[in-house]
Amino acid sequence: MASTYIGYASLFFEKTVFIYGLMLLIIYAILAILSFANIRLFLRKESYTDYKIILGSPLAPGISVIAPAFNEGLTIISNVRSLLTFNYPKYEVIIINDGSTDDTLEKVIREFSLVKIDFAYDPKLSTKPVRGIYKSTDDAYAKLIVVDKENGKSKADASNAGINVAAFPYFLCTDVDCILHEETLQKLIRPFMEEESKRVIAAGATLRMANSCEMDKGVITKIKAPRPLLARFQEMEYIRAFVLGKMGWSYINCVPNVSGGLGMFDKEIAVKAGGYDGASFGEDMELMMRMMCYVHDNKIKAAIRYIPLTLCWTEGPTSLKVFMRQRTRWGRGLIQLMIAHRKMFFNPRYGRAGMIIFPYNVFFELLAPIIEVLGIIYYILLIIFGLVNWPYAIILLVFVYTYSVMISSLAVLWDQLTFQYYKTWTDVVRIASMVFIEMLLYHPLIVIFAIRGYYFHLANRTHVWGNMQRRGFKESSDTKTTTATV
Amino acid sequence: MWKDLADLLFQAYEQFSLLPLFIEIALAFIFIAILSTLIAYSAILIKRYRAYVYEKRYAFISPKIEDLITEQVLLNPNLGKDLPVEDIEFDENAINNRIFRKPFVRQMMIDTLIQYRKNFRGEVGELLRKMYIDMGLEKDSFAKMKTFRWERKIKAVVELTQMDISISDVTILPLTNSGNASLRAAARNAYIQLSKNEPFKFFDIATEPLLPWDQLEMFKIITTTKDIAIPNFSRWVSYSTNKSIVSFCLKLIAHYDQQSAIPAVMDLLANKDHYYRADAINCLGKLSAEVSEEKLVKIYNNQPLNCQIEILKALGRIASGKQLDFLKSEFLYSSNFDLRMNAARSIIKHNTQHSRVMVEELMEMTHEENQLIIKHCLNPLIKY
Repeated sequence: MASTYIGYASLFFEKTVFIYGLMLLIIYAILAILSFANIRLFLRKESYTDYKIILGSPLAPGISVIAPAFNEGLTIISNVRSLLTFNYPKYEVIIINDGSTDDTLEKVIREFSLVKIDFAYDPKLSTKPVRGIYKSTDDAYAKLIVVDKENGKSKADASNAGINVAAFPYFLCTDVDCILHEETLQKLIRPFMEEESKRVIAAGATLRMANSCEMDKGVITKIKAPRPLLARFQEMEYIRAFVLGKMGWSYINCVPNVSGGLGMFDKEIAVKAGGYDGASFGEDMELMMRMMCYVHDNKIKAAIRYIPLTLCWTEGPTSLKVFMRQRTRWGRGLIQLMIAHRKMFFNPRYGRAGMIIFPYNVFFELLAPIIEVLGIIYYILLIIFGLVNWPYAIILLVFVYTYSVMISSLAVLWDQLTFQYYKTWTDVVRIASMVFIEMLLYHPLIVIFAIRGYYFHLANRTHVWGNMQRRGFKESSDTKTTTATV
Repeated sequence: MWKDLADLLFQAYEQFSLLPLFIEIALAFIFIAILSTLIAYSAILIKRYRAYVYEKRYAFISPKIEDLITEQVLLNPNLGKDLPVEDIEFDENAINNRIFRKPFVRQMMIDTLIQYRKNFRGEVGELLRKMYIDMGLEKDSFAKMKTFRWERKIKAVVELTQMDISISDVTILPLTNSGNASLRAAARNAYIQLSKNEPFKFFDIATEPLLPWDQLEMFKIITTTKDIAIPNFSRWVSYSTNKSIVSFCLKLIAHYDQQSAIPAVMDLLANKDHYYRADAINCLGKLSAEVSEEKLVKIYNNQPLNCQIEILKALGRIASGKQLDFLKSEFLYSSNFDLRMNAARSIIKHNTQHSRVMVEELMEMTHEENQLIIKHCLNPLIKY
């Protein structure tokens, strides 16, 4: 009986799963080619673009920068200062104090000379009640607005409050503790303004780990590859996901998601699509899906674009416990999203979103961890029953390993072609070395945490928002520690 | 030896062909993956090494170029002697130095001359241009124009424009309508700067769009270039079928306050495209076209939200006082928050005795939310 089941399993794994794996690898190869073409095109355009023109132009569109903050008392001042340093002619910075229980609000009020104002708040997107809106009496901070609201238990709720207050047609969503490049706004607005026949509804750029970078007053002064192993793995993963993955998808207008850490959006479409969903664990991807649904339902030719420049640095978790919580939430968000938007699955009405993006996410993002785990169980069973053809098994393992090394190596190469962020060889070697051990040490963690997320969702487990102990950035001689929700 | 190797390969192939298909595929992929990984890391090495070499060469050449420009142009003894620039000669030995024959150095020379020319006008600027021509760099730029690579063509167009070297219409006009958006934009900007008689001629033939990003640069060029003949842009508002050209012309009409264009802009109010209409209404507001007020109020109720908002803004900009009652009624009775907000802003923008009294009355008679809107609009701390 057992051997019959193993026979069926053999058939499944040796044929179906092999083809599945092969397809995934071919897709990665195609993405590598597309991203290369896209990066090349981007670099050719960049070679003669003078961004200074937008700085003095009355035609530059306004941008609202939205940054929710929850218990960021330790770093809020430098974070806000950092956000006020953008090189752009027309923007506002909206900080949303999402019911912090520490002194975040008091500190901001004191530091930036804020006063509570009569602000006509239009709740186009429903949120927890807003307690007050503050503006600075100091002209130097005229761009700053602080919204104080009740805690909504999600970044989505706070972001929606920011969108309600936003005055401009485009908004940039970020986390208050992210460090953004001073040219972020001018670089990210460009895709919205140079599309010929489509309306660009969202644009994003690469994120990197800030863990070992050096900072001065909220500005990165020296980029370094992260020292902590876990953060270094994440840096490698981000490079592959953004520079290779999203740039490739962007080339064929199939970007599945614009990261919550850094994304610029068309406000009109985002509001009409209903804004962020506070109940979602993957609110950034959820918003993209709804925006895609909206444009297709209303027959708007739309595009989502990515640029290969790193414009945002974020501190990645360095403890396994925090990392597990973050990835479990991502896994949970993914399955929740796929179930909620199942109507899009192979639905030609939603164009590429329905025929490419959604099926890809179902087959190669959602199911991949499950198939991997089943594959490992199958291998263990084969070993127990002495049915393993060891030479073939080793060949297949080497095949998967070498291929994943190749894809990650190409990602490192594309990143180096775009811009040499790492000034020293040591940093390049530090990142490149992750390519060879990622599959053995880091990848299993990703798989396990994703499955944990799926299980939590299916078992309807209550999500507990935990605090991420931030180690802070290397700034002069002191190292700050703060917390953030994950 | 070769025979042995061939035998070995043949045996390997025979063994390979006996393997199951999926193992054959896996082996093929392993080979490709290892090869690609090696190539990737070699490419990283080469790329970083080349960047290092470039920096070294740049550091070596740059001072030599700077010295040449300083000695031959900035400190040229003939400058300021009322001598025509064409008659000022350079030291032949200096500009024909072997070092300036290398393509890499010549490109660096062009880039540096352009940088200098951005900072120096007048006699020095003309002398920099003469150096560009005398060193034969102009030919290098024209050679780039003939390549098939569009980014090289753009570079050439920019170089020639910066150096004020005219490009024949036959060469540049087709590029102003190129399918490649970047090349098209560069050619259009060049045409405006270089064409002495009709800098906007390409507006007549443009079928390809003028993208908002490209409008930024073109707007700057038009509004900052000296001695440019500014036409009446209503000509294209009336006759162009290219929507982006019309939209851009509306911005220029507003910028140059071309009052004579008002009738042409008003004709656009009947256009089917509501984005177009919104642009036209915006332009009328910026022109303070009092003559259009009645028409704007008349069409108001049939417009989509974006046009209605633009009408309310326009009435605030025109601020004749004749439509205050209309604004008041919109503020009091509209169910849409944005319309009420814009109506309130426009009433306040009038800033007349009548409007101030109206604001006070409204504060007393209206409900709490509307009062908050008025306070919001009156608050000097809220800029946008």
